[in-house]
Amino acid sequence: MRTHWLGVALASSLVALGLAACGSDASSGGSGGITISIWNGYTQTEAKAFAHLVSVYNKAHPGTTVSSLYVNNDNTLQKVLTAVRGGSPPDIAYLYGSWAPNVAQIPQVVNLTKVVQGPGVSWPDFWVGERDVATVNGKVIGIPALVDNLAVVYNKTLFAQAGLKPPSPDWTWQQFVADAAKLTNPAKKQFGTAYVTPGTEDTVWHWEALLWEAGGQILKPGNKQAAFDSPAGLQALTTLRDMAITDHSMYLDPTDNAYTNVFNSGKIGMLVTGPWDLSVFPNVHYGVQVMPSFPGTSGGHQTISGPDNWVIFNNGATHVSAAEKFLLWLTAPAQVKYFSLATGDLPTRRSVETAPGFLQQMNKSLPGVDTFITNLGNVRQARPQTPTYPKVSQILGNMIVSVLLGKSQPQAALAGAAQQVNQALASTNG
Amino acid sequence: MTAPAALLRRRRTESAPARAGRRRPAASEQFAGWAFVTPGALIILVFGAVPIVWSAVMSFQRNNLLTGNTPYVGLRNYRAMVHDPVVAQAVQHTLVYTALFVPGAMIAGLFLAVAMNRKIRFISLYRTAAYATMAISTISEAVVFIWLFDPSYGVVNYFLSLLGIPQQQFLNSPSQALYVIVIMTIWGWTGFSVVIYLAALQGVPQMLLDAAAVDGAGPWTTFRRVTLPLLSPASLFLAVWLTINALQLFDEVYLSTQGGPLNATTVLVYYVYEQAFINFNFGYASAIAYFLFLIILVVTAVQFRAGRRFTHYRS
Repeated sequence: MRTHWLGVALASSLVALGLAACGSDASSGGSGGITISIWNGYTQTEAKAFAHLVSVYNKAHPGTTVSSLYVNNDNTLQKVLTAVRGGSPPDIAYLYGSWAPNVAQIPQVVNLTKVVQGPGVSWPDFWVGERDVATVNGKVIGIPALVDNLAVVYNKTLFAQAGLKPPSPDWTWQQFVADAAKLTNPAKKQFGTAYVTPGTEDTVWHWEALLWEAGGQILKPGNKQAAFDSPAGLQALTTLRDMAITDHSMYLDPTDNAYTNVFNSGKIGMLVTGPWDLSVFPNVHYGVQVMPSFPGTSGGHQTISGPDNWVIFNNGATHVSAAEKFLLWLTAPAQVKYFSLATGDLPTRRSVETAPGFLQQMNKSLPGVDTFITNLGNVRQARPQTPTYPKVSQILGNMIVSVLLGKSQPQAALAGAAQQVNQALASTNG
Repeated sequence: MTAPAALLRRRRTESAPARAGRRRPAASEQFAGWAFVTPGALIILVFGAVPIVWSAVMSFQRNNLLTGNTPYVGLRNYRAMVHDPVVAQAVQHTLVYTALFVPGAMIAGLFLAVAMNRKIRFISLYRTAAYATMAISTISEAVVFIWLFDPSYGVVNYFLSLLGIPQQQFLNSPSQALYVIVIMTIWGWTGFSVVIYLAALQGVPQMLLDAAAVDGAGPWTTFRRVTLPLLSPASLFLAVWLTINALQLFDEVYLSTQGGPLNATTVLVYYVYEQAFINFNFGYASAIAYFLFLIILVVTAVQFRAGRRFTHYRS
């Protein structure tokens, strides 16, 4: 019987050896240097530009090797959590801003509050929407990696055909609704606008921009109670309902991926969307305008932004300081400018926007992106930074969809959702 | 007496190395066996059994996987499930889906298998085509069906309009979306049941079919009384296999409606995903997963019990 145990022992040590071999990433590079790992979801153009920046840094810093690993952005948090539990988190990871309140709870996340106040960082140079999302309860947990926002992309050809003037920067939602109605032509299966209705955060944040423009708030200060069941909430919801139910001028997309094709086929007049969609509209002669406003409210022209963060995990003091050093270099104006010009991504720093010739250069590769860049100035607030936000978002998603599908009236939907949100915020378990 | 003693001795001396010889290969074989099995077994243990046990533990915790703080909450997660209206909806959607999908995929598969169980031209082409639905990735399948069933631009509504039926909302309608997913997945899985049924049909002896014909049975009676009972082992296998898959429906929902509109396509596994990876309620998600495990266990046990009664095995 001894041989049997010997067999087990031998085989398991082989496996252990194999696993250990897999696990031993080059945590300390050769010749006394240090290797820091960075997880990112860049592909294609972005991956190329990022690899270039990393190689520039590695050449300039012989003691440090930055090693980049591709991880699909959607899965990064899952993988980071696993790695944290396993005791080998990456030094830096690209994490969605919507996760920030939850990420802040991970004990290994490095507090960057002092770092971003350091000399030469110029924290206020990042847009306020970015800083808000990187900050949880007064603690900075990340450095902005990406920023975007919503604006109106419209089909110039359809506007001309309908005899409409292109939207102007001071336009209103009333005009938007009227234009949408005029752009709608059931015979041609042509819609004034579109809205995504899976009820996910993509459904929700479009409406949140309207809510803010109408002067409303999502939650009351302190994030303990709903604030959206207000005249502003009603105005925002009714505006969407008017198009979906009354005018039938809104193409409802239950899948969140059909609308881009429909717009690119010239069947939709106006789309509220972000800069990431511009590259998939090669067939449309499009223009970009800021979001319309609700006159008579305090909101003015606003938009919503979904910034993402670079987050540092604690792998010991030397790793942390090397990671901080690299990250501050990566997010410094020169590198931000390079990355934006190479990829078409909006610059995460304000000073880059105002650099001479920058907007023109950006627009040359991606027409209309300049409006999105200047629109970053209209990002005045961020979604509530509470770990319960995903639950709040689900409730709001159902509220919006039920109104757009004609299943409930705006006022009743708002009241019902507010009650559910209050309940969710009251119970710690979400 | 000496001779036998000497013989015995000789035998013993002979048998000692012989026994050892027999034993040595046995030991090394045993060693080799364990050596081959252990890595696989360990990997299964680490990646299969440990998560199963761990999620059982988590189902009694409040655990968001973010902090190290994971207090035990007893049965609270299980009790919360009872009061969660979405769980009730998800159970209902899962059962309705399973009740439609499993017979649907089996009947469609049986029909095609019988139709293709004959010598006609290009038969292998048809058979390959039928199985191709299994080879197509779920994401392509979902995208194609999204466009087929698009309320404004879809082909399905176009054909319905030719029949004078008004425009349907399909994936945009809380009362229709689940059925669109049923159709989508039946299409995707029919190839699988075709292959199983075709194989089983090859095993139906011509002798029995001839005997039935001699006894004056028509084609329908022969099919119902002879072929179908002989296919029952295949049917049981398909029923169990497809049911387990149906109860775990996720991909198609994730790729098309993401549980919407208004939770109309939120099935149990999708809800587990939502609770775990969107809301970070890993404890609650584990509890729901264990509840689903219980459902699958009961349903499969019932199927096997019933199957034993209705399945006909040829000796």
